[in-house]
Amino acid sequence: MSMDRPAAPGHDERLDLTLMPRLAEACEASRGPFPRPFLPNLLVPIDLRDSEPTGPSLFALGEGRRVAHAAGATVYAIVMSDRDLDDGVVARLGRAGADKILLCEGTALATPPLDATHGPALLAAVERISPLLVLFPAGGAGLALGPSLAARLGAAFAGAADVEVASGEALPEGVGRVFLRRWRGERATYRRLDPVEIERPVVAILPAGVAEAPVGSAEIDVEVITCAAPKDLAVTELGNEPDPDAAVALARVLVVVDSAYGPQAVEAIAAQAPPGVAVVDAGQTAALALSAPEIVIAVGNVDLSVMGTPRGRQGAILVDDATPSARAVDVLLRSKSAAPGPALWREIAGALAALARPLPGEARA
Amino acid sequence: MNIAVCLRAPPPGPEGDAIARGDGPALAHALDLAAGHKLTAVLGGTSMEEGPLRLALGMNVERAVRVAADDLAAADFHTIGQVLAIGLRRIGADLILTGVRSDDEGLGAAPAAIARHLGAAYVAAVEEIAIVDERHVEVVARGGGRKRRLSVKLPAVLTVATLRPMQVRPRDPTRPLPPIEVIPLGDPESTVVRRRTELLGRPEPASRGVQTVNSLAALVAALDRG
Repeated sequence: MSMDRPAAPGHDERLDLTLMPRLAEACEASRGPFPRPFLPNLLVPIDLRDSEPTGPSLFALGEGRRVAHAAGATVYAIVMSDRDLDDGVVARLGRAGADKILLCEGTALATPPLDATHGPALLAAVERISPLLVLFPAGGAGLALGPSLAARLGAAFAGAADVEVASGEALPEGVGRVFLRRWRGERATYRRLDPVEIERPVVAILPAGVAEAPVGSAEIDVEVITCAAPKDLAVTELGNEPDPDAAVALARVLVVVDSAYGPQAVEAIAAQAPPGVAVVDAGQTAALALSAPEIVIAVGNVDLSVMGTPRGRQGAILVDDATPSARAVDVLLRSKSAAPGPALWREIAGALAALARPLPGEARA
Repeated sequence: MNIAVCLRAPPPGPEGDAIARGDGPALAHALDLAAGHKLTAVLGGTSMEEGPLRLALGMNVERAVRVAADDLAAADFHTIGQVLAIGLRRIGADLILTGVRSDDEGLGAAPAAIARHLGAAYVAAVEEIAIVDERHVEVVARGGGRKRRLSVKLPAVLTVATLRPMQVRPRDPTRPLPPIEVIPLGDPESTVVRRRTELLGRPEPASRGVQTVNSLAALVAALDRG
C-alpha cells in the first residue's frame, strides 16, 4: 500500500482511453456543472462501521468488479474519514474488488454521512475521477448523499438497482455495456438506465448482498484527498445514540411483520433469525427507508414500502383470510392452518435458517 | 416561519382525491408543526392533479399552490425539482417537507434537486422535527448505525420517513376553502424549465407471476435463489 503517491504505472492508463465517445461528446456539450468527460470508472462509496467496511460495501465492490471486467472499467472505493485507513481495511477493500482507494480525509468526516458534511468531499472525489457509475452500498450513505450527488452532476438516480452487463450490446470499441435496472413504484415495470444511452452518469444504491469470495488483490494503492471542512455548516450534530434498528439497513433478508401481531411476534422471530436476516415491525418506516434487501418476507397484511431490486425477491405469508397487498409479490404462502401466535412465529423463525449466508468476515481470504 | 409541504398526485385510483402514500408522513408532520406558522401545500402539475391540494386545504392547511406544469409524471427528478423550487421560492418557504419516495417512480431524488435549486440544506429520512427558532429546526435522523439529533439551519429540505397519525384540525364548515393559487411556469420571473425525461431510463415490462406455495420451507426455497 502507498499513500499520496502517483498511481502505479499502467494502472490508470485506461482512463485516457475514450471508451465511450458519445458520453464524452455529450458531456462537453452538457448544460450541467460537470465540466469533464465521464470515464469508465466505477465508484463505490464505502460505509464503515467501527472502522470496518460493512457487508453491503464489500458486496457493492464485488458487483463493481464483476461488471468492470466486461466494461473495461476501473473500480474505485471511496472512503470518507478523519484518519488514515488501517492496512487490514485496505486489503479487505482490495480483495473485495477495488482497484484503488480514494481516501477523502477531513475532520468533518468522522461522523455518519450527511449531505452538509460529506457532500462536498464526495463531489471532490467524483470530480477527481469522473465516474460512469457511482454505486452506493445498501444501508450506507446512499439515501443521504446519492440524490444530492445526482442532482449536482445532472446524473440519473436509482434508489435500489441491480447493475448488469448487456449481452450482445458491446460498444464499437469492443467493451461491454453496463446498465442498471430498477423497479418503478408498485413493482409493475422496470426502468433500464444505460449511461451510454442517456449520456449521463448514473448514481445508484445496490441491494444488501453478501460478497461470497475474494475477487481482487489485497495490494492496492490509496490516494488521499484532503478535504477541508465546509466553512458554514448548515447541519450540526447535537447528539447521537446507537440505532436499535441498525441491522435492518444492512440486512440481506428482511422479515417485515404486521404491526397487528404486536412486538412479541417480532421478538420471537428475531430471536432465531440467522446472521444477515433482520426482523422488523412494519411500522418502523424510518428504519425500512434505509434498507435495500435482496429478499423481503412480509408476515401478515403488510403494505410493503420496501422496494427491493429486480433481482431481489419478495414473499408474503398471509395468515387467516387476509387479502394480499396491492403490491405484487413473487411468492405467496397462505397459512390457513396456523393461527397468529408463538407456534407460528417459531415455525417462521425455524424456516429462516435456510437463508443464512457467511458473514462478511467469514468470506475473507 | 413559512413551512411548505410538497405533494404529488398519486397514481390514478378508484378513490378519487387522495394523498400519495409517500407524502403522508410529510403532511402529518407539517400539520403538527403548523401552529403559529404559515403552512402551504405545494404541488407541481395540471389542474386535473389538484386533488391532494384540495384535501390538504380540508385539513386546515392555510394555503395551496399549484405550479402549473404539464405531464410531470413523465419528467425526471431534475425537472420536478426545478418546477417545485420555482413555487417554493415564490412563497418564500423556509422549511420544506417532502416524502422519502414518490409512489410512481419510487426514487426519492426530487427533494435533493429542490434543495440544490434553492441553495437549501438537505437531510433525508428524518423522524422527528422540532422548530427551535426562526432560523433553525432540530431533527432526528439515522445513519451509520446511529440515531442522531441534528440542528439544521434554514432554509432546508427534509424528507420525512416516520408515519404518524394526521392531527387534522377540522375546518369551520361555514368558511369556504381558499382557492388554489396557480404559479404559471410561463411567468417571466421563473426559470425556464427544460424537459428531460430520458434520465428516468427506458421502461421494460416485468412479467413476473406470483408463485403460490404450501409450506414455509417452500417459500424460503423459492425466494432464495442464491
